[in-house]
Amino acid sequence: MREQRRKDAVWQFTTYVFILVMTLVMLVPLYWMIVAATLPQEQFIQFPPRLYPGTAFFENFAALQERTDFVRSIWNSVFIAVVYTVLSILLCSMAGFAFAKYEFRFKEPIFYLILATLVLPIQLLVIPLFLMMSQIDWTDTFRAIIIPWLANPIGIFLMRQNMKSIPDALLESARMDGATEFQIFYRIALPAMRSSIAALAIILFLFQWDLFLYPLVILETSANYTIPVALSGLEGTQRVYYDQIMVATSLAIIPLAILFLVLQKQFVSGILAGSLKE
Amino acid sequence: MARITLTDLTKVYDPDGEAVVAVEDCNLTVDDGEFLVLVGPSGCGKSTTLRCIAGLEDITEGRLEFGDTDVTTYSASERDVAMVFQNYALYPHMTVRQNIGFGLKLSSKLSSSEINDQVESVAEMLGISELLGDKPKELSGGQQQRVALGRAIVRKPEVFLMDEPLSNLDAKLRSDMRTELQELQQNLDVTTVYVTHDQTEAMAMGDRIAVMDKGILQQVGPPEEVYRQPVNEFVADFIGSPSINLLSADVDGSTLLGPGGFKYDLGNASPVEGHDRVRVGIRPEDIRLVDGGPNRAEVTVVEPMGNENFCYMELEHIEMTARISPTQRPTAGEEVAFAFDEAALYLFDAETGDALKTKTDESPDNIHTEVST
Repeated sequence: MREQRRKDAVWQFTTYVFILVMTLVMLVPLYWMIVAATLPQEQFIQFPPRLYPGTAFFENFAALQERTDFVRSIWNSVFIAVVYTVLSILLCSMAGFAFAKYEFRFKEPIFYLILATLVLPIQLLVIPLFLMMSQIDWTDTFRAIIIPWLANPIGIFLMRQNMKSIPDALLESARMDGATEFQIFYRIALPAMRSSIAALAIILFLFQWDLFLYPLVILETSANYTIPVALSGLEGTQRVYYDQIMVATSLAIIPLAILFLVLQKQFVSGILAGSLKE
Repeated sequence: MARITLTDLTKVYDPDGEAVVAVEDCNLTVDDGEFLVLVGPSGCGKSTTLRCIAGLEDITEGRLEFGDTDVTTYSASERDVAMVFQNYALYPHMTVRQNIGFGLKLSSKLSSSEINDQVESVAEMLGISELLGDKPKELSGGQQQRVALGRAIVRKPEVFLMDEPLSNLDAKLRSDMRTELQELQQNLDVTTVYVTHDQTEAMAMGDRIAVMDKGILQQVGPPEEVYRQPVNEFVADFIGSPSINLLSADVDGSTLLGPGGFKYDLGNASPVEGHDRVRVGIRPEDIRLVDGGPNRAEVTVVEPMGNENFCYMELEHIEMTARISPTQRPTAGEEVAFAFDEAALYLFDAETGDALKTKTDESPDNIHTEVST
């Protein structure tokens, strides 16, 4: 009995140590990023490194702003990600609703075809998409960044799976109450899907926020650059502006952190939706 | 208000090209203001029939009329019907007030204060006024049921449809709600079609009951008529609790010879003329335990019910039930003699199951027979 209890305690201790180490492994780069953002370039590269914050944040930021108009890039990224997220949620929910609740010809094959597009890497799509965009004269525009990715296969899949859990009787009841099919969708199905939509919002926002190669190819004017594209400009051929990169990346995670904090509760329950019997 | 007329209504499902006939050639009229109960075992087509009336399923063949209007091709919302679902189907994100008012908000031109007034008067009628601000998940099963009813009533529909609305409630609440529903229906005087698999519920609630089996309407009539004059063995067996006792017997002139030495002399042999073999039915309440006689069975279990005893017996592997007086208490394993009156006897064709003779023990003159197949 006592032997067993000691074993348990040892096991628990080891688990906590492991978790602590893993947490540090993840936090250290984040901490270093923030510290480095406050150091002038000389202190950044000194050895042993300085591990506590300095005072050069605003100088670094001013230099960054001068080089890239970074405030403009943040605005561009936020605008594109927000518009994309809203439109894509609408599209993915409608598609998910149709796949989950309506019968039509070739429903299954179409759905699996959409899922199959998941295996295509972005790198493969960049060139054909660029050619298409230049044919319709959309290069260097935000709509070229937003529209091609609206029908997101992960989003459609997620919404279809969750929409399946809506009881048919609920929709039929609304139908008998005189609701049109579109009213059933936005008055009954969408509100019932709140937590899944929160989860999807984070996934979609993150996808667009991190998109790099495609906007790099499409966007030409620096005033249109998104954050990842603007950042890439800081890696010159002669010199890499680490101090400015660190300021930029520190700032770039703030909108994501806010979004996650706001949607956190729904996000977790959305990801876990259907895993437990309610 | 409206009379509902189903003419040769047929519903065929076609999953993967394999046709399944759910309802076949159903002819049925539900009178204006009538409470009709559709009853049958699961999979008999009763819910499908209801869903066809509701407009939730397309009608494959046949016609559906409300009053003089052919509504066969109308959508659910155009038919002016309200339905109460088995699991209530309340909108989870709306309050009780919004749930009840949703239909009015969508389909009527009333102002929001008029809608509010109507919602409140319906809530008062159902005794749920204090719940109007709650969400469905905060309510008990019985309260959810009332909200579902309120949602149907508030629209003042031509027709009420109810799909096993009481089956999710516990036994006590179910019998309370049963009475309440009947009163409500009588007060509102709306044509109602009620689906259930519970024959007790059907007998207790319906002005008339319609028994279905395998997609075919077997019999329609007042509860007592269906009980006393079933058109076939299925109806006789399905209606009544405990179920009717059934056994096969050979016909020898005017004598019935069954298993385990069962023997019965008919005073009137005309119903069995031309039959070598028939099915014999006797209701449990018509069996008497007697001191001696040719028909004997072995008692297996006696269940005391307080006001009566259920005596389960075996007649050569055929289970039989008798409802006997609480003072009679045979013991398990005992062999008892039983008897019954010819007037209480049912006889069915051994092949088709059609009724050859039904109960004649009380004056049947005042019972009007209406048979529809």
